[in-house]
Amino acid sequence: MPLLIRRSISLVFIVWFCLAISASQGSNPHRAGGVIPKGEILVKGAVPAASDSTTPLPEDGKVVDGRYRNDYFGLVYPIPDKWSEQAAGPPPSDSGSYVLEQLALVDREQRVKAHVLITAQDLFFSALPVANATELIAALRAGLAPLYEIEREPDEVKIAGRTFARFRYKSAVAGLHWRILSTDVRCHAVTFTFTGTDTEALDDAERGLRDISLNPDAPSCVAGYASGENVLERIDPHFSARRYNTIPVRVIIDREGKVKHIHLLSAFLDQSDTIIAALRQWHFKPYLRDGRAAEVETGLVFGTPRTILRLPGK
Amino acid sequence: MAVISDVVVQPFGKEVYVNRRVAASVFVSLLLIPIGAFSQVDPGVRGTVGSDTAGHPLNSVNSDNPATILSFFNDGKSRFQEVDSVSHGSIMGELGAGLGPRYNSRSCAACHAQPAVGGSSPAVNPQFADATADGATNTIPSFITLSGPVREARFVFFTDGAGNPITTSPNGGVEDLYTIAGRSDAGLCTAAAISQPNFTSAVAHNNVIFRIPTPVFGAGLLENIEETTLLNFQASTVGNPFGVAGTFNHNGNDGTISRFGWKAQNKSLEIFSGEAYNVEMGVSNELFTQERPLPEEDMASGLPTPCKINATPEDHTNFNTTAVLTPSDAVQFAMFMRLLEAPKQSKKFPGGETSITNGEALFKSIGCNACHTQIFSQSPSAITPGLGGTPLFGQWSDLEIHHMGSGLADNVSQGTAGGDQFRTAPLWGLGQRIFFLHDGRTSDMVVAVQEHFSSGSEANTTKLNFDALTTPQKQDIINFLRSL
Ligand code: HEC
Ligand code: HEC
Repeated sequence: MPLLIRRSISLVFIVWFCLAISASQGSNPHRAGGVIPKGEILVKGAVPAASDSTTPLPEDGKVVDGRYRNDYFGLVYPIPDKWSEQAAGPPPSDSGSYVLEQLALVDREQRVKAHVLITAQDLFFSALPVANATELIAALRAGLAPLYEIEREPDEVKIAGRTFARFRYKSAVAGLHWRILSTDVRCHAVTFTFTGTDTEALDDAERGLRDISLNPDAPSCVAGYASGENVLERIDPHFSARRYNTIPVRVIIDREGKVKHIHLLSAFLDQSDTIIAALRQWHFKPYLRDGRAAEVETGLVFGTPRTILRLPGK
Repeated sequence: MAVISDVVVQPFGKEVYVNRRVAASVFVSLLLIPIGAFSQVDPGVRGTVGSDTAGHPLNSVNSDNPATILSFFNDGKSRFQEVDSVSHGSIMGELGAGLGPRYNSRSCAACHAQPAVGGSSPAVNPQFADATADGATNTIPSFITLSGPVREARFVFFTDGAGNPITTSPNGGVEDLYTIAGRSDAGLCTAAAISQPNFTSAVAHNNVIFRIPTPVFGAGLLENIEETTLLNFQASTVGNPFGVAGTFNHNGNDGTISRFGWKAQNKSLEIFSGEAYNVEMGVSNELFTQERPLPEEDMASGLPTPCKINATPEDHTNFNTTAVLTPSDAVQFAMFMRLLEAPKQSKKFPGGETSITNGEALFKSIGCNACHTQIFSQSPSAITPGLGGTPLFGQWSDLEIHHMGSGLADNVSQGTAGGDQFRTAPLWGLGQRIFFLHDGRTSDMVVAVQEHFSSGSEANTTKLNFDALTTPQKQDIINFLRSL
């Protein structure tokens, strides 16, 4: 008995010690004299950045009170019962692809019954010339490997008052079904990909889409607005290093034609600083909506331009 | 070396895959409950059966097309195997020269060994003997073990005088394990003149990461893939239902896609040869012309003078000799690697034909091939027909770099690849490998797959698909991987 007590005391001490260490590391971001923490990405490559910290960004969604909430897309998605949030996805790609959220239904044996991947493809920067969600789904259909069986050819369906491009297929060998629903928001195709072996769980989750809201409080988005005669004044960023990465940038231009907000999807820190400083000096013709000056959101590419290639199967 | 794994179900219900030896001790000490009796296991390193062996030249090279190419291959291969000493003829049986003053091992083939010359880390780590070879007096760092993987070490950050990492100063350069001090041919380069990096401190501060050798079978085929082929594949993955969206690493000088190394940091086999000769063995050459100091030395006063023993470059074009012997070692290493045939898949082992075929279909269905894809070569080769045309060769890699998350991140940035970005590892030849992943952290194929899942990884969705499969289905995938 005394031995047991001694053991549990030392256990408590060990736990306290570990907590103390992790707390002290947390409070010291530079960790001078410290041990490099495991499982942290400290040396970054190209990452997203923005000109201010208040304007919502596509990558900033999160789960709160059983809902996935994304202010950029005005999206609120109620998480199906018993589904849980999975490890975060990668940062936005230099081709405008976002992994917004990943949720899964996992059984007691840790087997995944079904999961949903919420993604967004920025239609300004895609490596394929796709103009909207319907074309994105068409490209997926065209490139689908023969080892899958189509369960439902792409069509359109109205859910929660919006039009979604829909596509369903399965893999017989894996016993997995894919149900894909994609809709246009702010010149992005926002896509829900439900995958799993358990078709009832998939039905449930898909039905859950009826309760989503997708109402961004957003200016009009216009591809290629920041070009040609619309640009009245332009200061090119001068980079200190040559890197050959593609730097997709979204901007919101205000009614006076000044840049109000800048979001770099993928850039090295020095590149972001240079681009933000340059773009702040740009001046555009004000965008007109119904004859009146209005805010507009558009995209620009710095660094190495992306080669836009053919559609698969064409 | 067969490594078998079991699934241990921890009290909180999460599967953990461990090596059986470790599993046994964990089992006894923590009294964990059931061992999953029907879980998928890695059948272990596939033996060589007949023509399945790697290490042969391409067919067109074997038939000497164009004439004399086979003699270039054979000469390159023997130079790749040469053990280097510091100066020519200083030590019996060590035919190469220029070793050190800093080095990781003493021949290309020492590290690139399994299952044949040109491969990856062998079962017995040559770096164990390298430490004291020919009288050298090196201390073996804690992370180098006799049965562990060959390791190249890099410090993540530069450090202050007390060895504390300065997290605003990324280092990432290779820290050679050893010096020539004490060797019979080291002259005045003694332990008083040169010392090993402080690995004990780096380990204590978790400031060191590792890389194991990548095999070079079929490397010429990778070198010969058109950029358009790669870009087309990338475009074809737009809208994929797995959340995968990679990018390419580029050569900083001409901006073209680079493709060799764990982060696709190098453009060509010849550049890699020159760099490896310089970095791994300490041999200066026509591509990397000076003796290489450590990154810290480079920022201070360079290598100590008594340790710069030979005139440079130590390896160079040889004049007044036969055609085959004229090119430098670096050029001939590259030629040997370029002309090596791709590894061949086994149709039956392990697990039988049905399981392997099924495994391949499953691998593709769940999206592993959104990254690990097969691409056809499309450009005719001016070197030998076997490198051109459109043969089917399954490298199982898009040669893109992908975010692999916090679990695999090594916090080394190379070119445009950041701390967690890695080139999709080509999976050909996997069946006969002993160690997996960039740092050789596991010998268990199942663990190699599990490690794809962590915060920030592009492979998370694919891994969830994997976890949706039944145990026999997962076993088929593992068998397929071991058949490669
Ligand atoms: C100490 C062990 C060691 C020695 C000796 C060594 N290598 Fe390597 N090799 C490695 C490691 C580790 C890597 C992976 C490096 C990385 O990507 O960070 C590698 C990668 C390579 C690659 C890249 C292949 C690919 O597809 O990515 C080539 C080519 C190569 N080595 C050639 C050589 C040549 C030629 C020599 C002899 C001059 C040599 N190596 C000597 C350890 C070694
Ligand atoms: C997002 C791209 C991506 C996807 C999807 C992906 N992998 Fe990988 N895979 C990689 C990269 C990158 C590495 C190298 C990672 C490292 O070494 O840190 C790798 C490494 C591996 C390795 C070890 C290879 C070696 O040389 O050590 C195996 C085995 C493997 N993958 C199997 C799979 C299987 C099975 C799947 C599907 C469940 C899969 N991968 C899905 C990118 C991917």
